[in-house]
Amino acid sequence: MRTRPWLLLAPALILLGALLVWPLVRVFLFSLQDYGLREIVTGESNYIGFGNYAEIFANPMLWTVVLPNTIGFAVVAVSATVIFGTLVAMLMASLGTVWRTIVGSAIMVAWAMPAVTGTYVWIWIFDADQGLVNETLKSLGLMDESFNWFTNPFTFYAIVVLNIVHHGFPFVAITVLAGLLGVSKEMLEAAEMDGAGPIRRFFAIIFPTLKPVFSVVIILSTIWDFKVFAQIYLMPGGAGSNRDVLNLGVWSYVESFGQNRYGFGAAIAVLLTVLLLIITAIYVRTLFKEEKE
Amino acid sequence: MKKRYLPIAMFAIGALGLTACSGGAADTAEGDTLNVWIMQGTNPDTEAFFDTVGDAFTEETGATLNVDFVQWADAHDRFVTAIAGGTTPDVAETGTTWTAEFADAGALAPIGDYVTEAGLDDDLVDGLVESGTYDGSLYGMPWYAGVRSIIYRTDVFDELGLAAPTNWQEIVDAATVIQAERPDLTPFPVAGDAEMLTYPWVWGAGGEVATLEGDEWVSGLDSAEARDGIGFYTGLATDHGFSTAGATTWKETDILDNFAQGTVAMAISGSWTPAALLEKAPDLEGKLGAIAIPGQTSGISPSVLGGSHLSMFNTSENKDLAWQFMQLMTTGDFAQQWADQTGYFPGTKSLLQTSMESADALVKPFAEQMVDGGGALPVTPKFGAVQAKKTTNAMIQSILSGQKTVDEATADAAAEMNDIMNGN
Repeated sequence: MRTRPWLLLAPALILLGALLVWPLVRVFLFSLQDYGLREIVTGESNYIGFGNYAEIFANPMLWTVVLPNTIGFAVVAVSATVIFGTLVAMLMASLGTVWRTIVGSAIMVAWAMPAVTGTYVWIWIFDADQGLVNETLKSLGLMDESFNWFTNPFTFYAIVVLNIVHHGFPFVAITVLAGLLGVSKEMLEAAEMDGAGPIRRFFAIIFPTLKPVFSVVIILSTIWDFKVFAQIYLMPGGAGSNRDVLNLGVWSYVESFGQNRYGFGAAIAVLLTVLLLIITAIYVRTLFKEEKE
Repeated sequence: MKKRYLPIAMFAIGALGLTACSGGAADTAEGDTLNVWIMQGTNPDTEAFFDTVGDAFTEETGATLNVDFVQWADAHDRFVTAIAGGTTPDVAETGTTWTAEFADAGALAPIGDYVTEAGLDDDLVDGLVESGTYDGSLYGMPWYAGVRSIIYRTDVFDELGLAAPTNWQEIVDAATVIQAERPDLTPFPVAGDAEMLTYPWVWGAGGEVATLEGDEWVSGLDSAEARDGIGFYTGLATDHGFSTAGATTWKETDILDNFAQGTVAMAISGSWTPAALLEKAPDLEGKLGAIAIPGQTSGISPSVLGGSHLSMFNTSENKDLAWQFMQLMTTGDFAQQWADQTGYFPGTKSLLQTSMESADALVKPFAEQMVDGGGALPVTPKFGAVQAKKTTNAMIQSILSGQKTVDEATADAAAEMNDIMNGN
């Protein structure tokens, strides 16, 4: 038995075990209990088997509103963020040093803006009575009556997508830009000589070279957009009073923490983790399969 | 080998415990510290107020007062974390809807005996006693209370020759005139994310929010009376157009902001808001009036009595000292000063009497509402769950946005309420 490698790994493993594995195990144990404020006070456990899970799956709200909203939003937001971020990265790659620095700092500001602040700015822009959008549409004669953008689920999520893309694209742009600068210039020049247009060059050379970068960016964005909470909770009606716009994050908060049902919340957290693991696994698998071929 | 030390260790622990007990039972609390949590923002000058209280407390008991100020927004989370970690303060301000919840969890100590001993049983304001009582015992010491009534712009009413409404029809009549003559104003905003503004209309029409029948809670939101009231309230927006498109997703604070901007003519608002309003918008000085929420045909529509208790936590090691602080805060000079500074009403009847006799036109209607038209929501932690799920808010918002009719929305809300309050 070789002990030395394990001994050397021990500090890291112990740290990971204490900070990551043990809390995960605790969350799973909570998810098997009816765990509320009373259990917190007494410190007693209260196991109910898979009751919380059964209740989650039996909830019609989950299937008709929460999951469609979460998945639909994640698909749209991730594609929009990645496409827009890539376009900005390509713009920056073609700029000189001075302008690249200027554009880079400008998008960093969008990235550095706290989610809460950014969300309020979008809320004000779309405010029904005094917002910029409604005022403009009215003064142009395109709209007679004020329209509340937050009551309709489609317009509500359109605003959330704007907010998330605005906040999320700088990360994609910077990451992809780093990759772009590593693409061999000779290959691009050779392709251009052979008569390949910009779109052909992107899909034949740049995209295959940057595949690992895109996979990281897409996986991370998917995880973030699945878990999005503050940007929806803070929107008018987003905290639960407009049932049509609930997503997984807000729904689990309202159902569990709002009602002191920590076991139920833990069960939702476990399911969300499993769901994200599955998505990531499928994605990584297809990626490696393609590479082998 | 190890076992031989066990009795010694136990003896040592026992001795420590004994000394701890004898320390607590001593007549003087010299050198002790009492930890207290108070919510920030109720009093514009909270810290100065508690500096004075701290000095008086030390003079009276010899103990030091240590006050932590907590934001309302994250107070509930902090309480839960502290309860989980056993680090709760001795005494804390708890919002009236939290007291039953924490008592139900077993985190609070009952204070009924202290109150009786101090001869305060008959002096506490009924509504606050009701919300501070759980399972037959008093857990929350009434500290201060507020109530919502209607505030309106007297300058607009004078200009248009209108009188303050005394029943629901007169609200519609006045708003119709304002709508026609002053199109720049929102006559009566109906906020879609503010449950507390809904209940007066339910009660005013003779309905109930929820009642306990035997062991079972039954929501009254889908009764004919409640539907009548909710239909009237939402009708102000949907039938008459007295509200705005934006108000469909407004919270209570949005009403206040818009009132401060001078774009609202009438609105339901708390007794604690006129002072804040005048501070935000000094040009409204002298243009502000208040009336108790009128009854459907006459009288007053009840509105929710809100406010705060002082609660003693089970973990407190010196409960007598904790009670001394609670009594100092809730009776006598400090209670009166607190009420004067915050615009809330004191939690004892003897002090409330002074407010009742106030000639201030912005105090008297609220005091009237509080004494003659104070309503209480169901006192059970389960109702906290209903509030967290925003059952009532979702009902109002879906009617305002046209997704549901009054009948559909009230039926759904009542079913959900029954489900939460009787289930799990």
